[in-house]
Amino acid sequence: MTTSECCLDPVRPLLLRRAPVVFALLGLLTVLMLGINVAVGSIAFSPAEIWQALRNPAEASTTSFILWNIRIPRAIAAVFGGAYLAASGLLLQIYFRNPIVGPYILGISSGATLMVSFVMLTSVTVGWTLFTPFISTLAAFAGAYAVMLIVLAIASRIKGGVTLLIVGLMMGYLCGAVTAILTAFAEKDKIKGFVLWQLGSFSGFKWDEITILLVLGGAILALLYLQSKPLNAFLLGEEYAASMGVNIRRFRLLILLCACALAGMITSMAGPVAFIGMAVPHMARLGFGTSDNRILIPGACLTGGLVASLCDLIARTIMAPVELPLSAVTAFFGAPIVITLLLKRRVKL
Amino acid sequence: MNMPANRPIISVRGLSVGYGNTPVLRDISFDCRPGQFISLLGPNGAGKTTLLRTLSRHLSPLAGEIRVQSRPLAALPAMDLARIMAVVLTDRIAPPLFTVFEFVALGRYPHTDYLGRLGAGDRLAVTTSLAAVHALNLAHRLFADLSDGERQKVLMARALAQEPQVLLLDEPTIHLDLKHRVEVMAILRDLCRTKNITVIASLHDVDVAAKVSDRVALIKDGGMIDWGAPESALTPEAVAGLYDFDKAEFNRHLGGIELRGEGDRGRAFVVGGMGSGALVYRMLAKKGFAIATGVVHTNDLDCFVARSLGADCVTVDPMETIDAAAAQQAATLLDDCDFVIDSGFMIGAGNLANFDLVQTALNRGKTVFSLRPHQPGTPLAAGCVHCNTAVQLIEALDGFAAPSTLCRVQEA
Repeated sequence: MTTSECCLDPVRPLLLRRAPVVFALLGLLTVLMLGINVAVGSIAFSPAEIWQALRNPAEASTTSFILWNIRIPRAIAAVFGGAYLAASGLLLQIYFRNPIVGPYILGISSGATLMVSFVMLTSVTVGWTLFTPFISTLAAFAGAYAVMLIVLAIASRIKGGVTLLIVGLMMGYLCGAVTAILTAFAEKDKIKGFVLWQLGSFSGFKWDEITILLVLGGAILALLYLQSKPLNAFLLGEEYAASMGVNIRRFRLLILLCACALAGMITSMAGPVAFIGMAVPHMARLGFGTSDNRILIPGACLTGGLVASLCDLIARTIMAPVELPLSAVTAFFGAPIVITLLLKRRVKL
Repeated sequence: MNMPANRPIISVRGLSVGYGNTPVLRDISFDCRPGQFISLLGPNGAGKTTLLRTLSRHLSPLAGEIRVQSRPLAALPAMDLARIMAVVLTDRIAPPLFTVFEFVALGRYPHTDYLGRLGAGDRLAVTTSLAAVHALNLAHRLFADLSDGERQKVLMARALAQEPQVLLLDEPTIHLDLKHRVEVMAILRDLCRTKNITVIASLHDVDVAAKVSDRVALIKDGGMIDWGAPESALTPEAVAGLYDFDKAEFNRHLGGIELRGEGDRGRAFVVGGMGSGALVYRMLAKKGFAIATGVVHTNDLDCFVARSLGADCVTVDPMETIDAAAAQQAATLLDDCDFVIDSGFMIGAGNLANFDLVQTALNRGKTVFSLRPHQPGTPLAAGCVHCNTAVQLIEALDGFAAPSTLCRVQEA
């Protein structure tokens, strides 16, 4: 008997055989959304002006300045932000084998918030004029990664995923408590700025930051894609993964490190963006009809980029000139979609 | 494999297993050879799962050594171990949106490239594995939609896709219906015979284990209390001790567990033999009657069942005609009983005395229930309560136990 005669084809049911189509569609929509995000804003430009400014980045016109320093970085940041948060959420959902965890479950956002609250609500940093433009970003970065390191140190000592989940939650409460106390003592006008920072925004990205996102994040994503085989084995739980040849200790740390690094990067630059990291992996799973991480890692990134871009567009334009908090839009927009998808497909996640 | 067939594939010496510093089992030694079916038997919480988890390297041994193909288990690279050993656990896993084929293909992990792409050889292995567990028809279903029994077979197929030489299974038949329970055990036995895979499984059913195993490990009280072929290790005493049986007995010859009754509803004497009494004994035990029986030959099915149920038996040697001494002994025993049952045994030269025994019972005024077809005019017909079926006998006994509602079956 030859293999072709006696072998089953790995055929999927028709409904689940659609990954290439979905990829093409999402890619197209993301590019379209990038374009819209560059073209649309509180100041209206004609298509000719936009085309002119895009072709001549160095031109000293208002159009060129606004496009190249405000809209384009922001549009790109939204795509990266959504993509990385989604990838981070996907990883942690696999790690904890729990569909309701997101990138912030391990306390990254609380750590960032805590440090930013120090900067924005107290007078500790008043004298540090040299760093002032970056001070929030730096503080958030320090907070996010400090908490992440603590959680990782704990993670290397304990075995159970649920225990780690609780540790992350407790870290969140601890940081939240300090933040709450600082808020109580803060001046009123400072609080509004802080509250808005807590709700996330892709505005004010510098090109340097975009470069960091591209290089570091891209490297992590490439590494992750190469880990999609052990990630798939991990879907069956640690013991099965170990019995199939995955080096569990090393792999556990790798997943956590990558997930935290991705989410930490975005959070320190854009603030905590709710919902995307938790919900987009579900949208991607249902959209692509698979749990195979070779498809889901790029798939969730693409979906995340698209969703974040769309949400940012809505946040910027729907109540212009007032900009809505990003987290409010992501939740408003996304929660019903997830519920609808689940009800309609009746797929257990 | 160029190994001699009889070299142990797993060799355990002085092993202590447990969690942290608390040993659950101490000082275990045994050898597993290729193609053997090994059952771990013991009460819940005895440490069967802990032992399995240590063998699969999910837990580190507290002391002692495990060697796999003569190499220390601790030193085996994860991928090498995955090609030798596969596991089926009790965890309820349900990865979403996986077809059965894709799920089983995950088992190809130690054989595929860095992205886990499936070649023709991998697809063949997945197909063969599904065929080995009779699950080819499930290949395109979603894993999450399977029933418990189907899921268990697919879990075994995933393990087989690793092309292991050793298969470890934790409670493979738990939660399964009878059909799948039998099917799973048959599949495992076939894997040992045809693929020369060593199967190590923790099992709950002693009777099943006795029928499929080449070796059984009896695990209790922090150690392995016995290891050997089930034919020698699973004595009624060993099984009763293993599970702390009180009202039951494992019978090797019958290959099953006999459940003793309370014995507080009165005492029945069954005139049986020739296999006619077995069902009657079990029914009496179930209904709570104490049992005495005679005269049966020691090689009679009735003798095995009655003894397992704790009945007083009057016996004679195989092939011998029932002699006067045995008949007299039975008659004495019968005097102490509240009623007598004639099991409707076939009559031949060897057991004519039993026929006389029924007559003796009638003569002494005992109530005799008879399962013998009613034949008016024969000597026994007049005095007996005739029951055509076991169900009628049960009803008649229930009536007898409460004398006010005693109802005699109408005689023609």
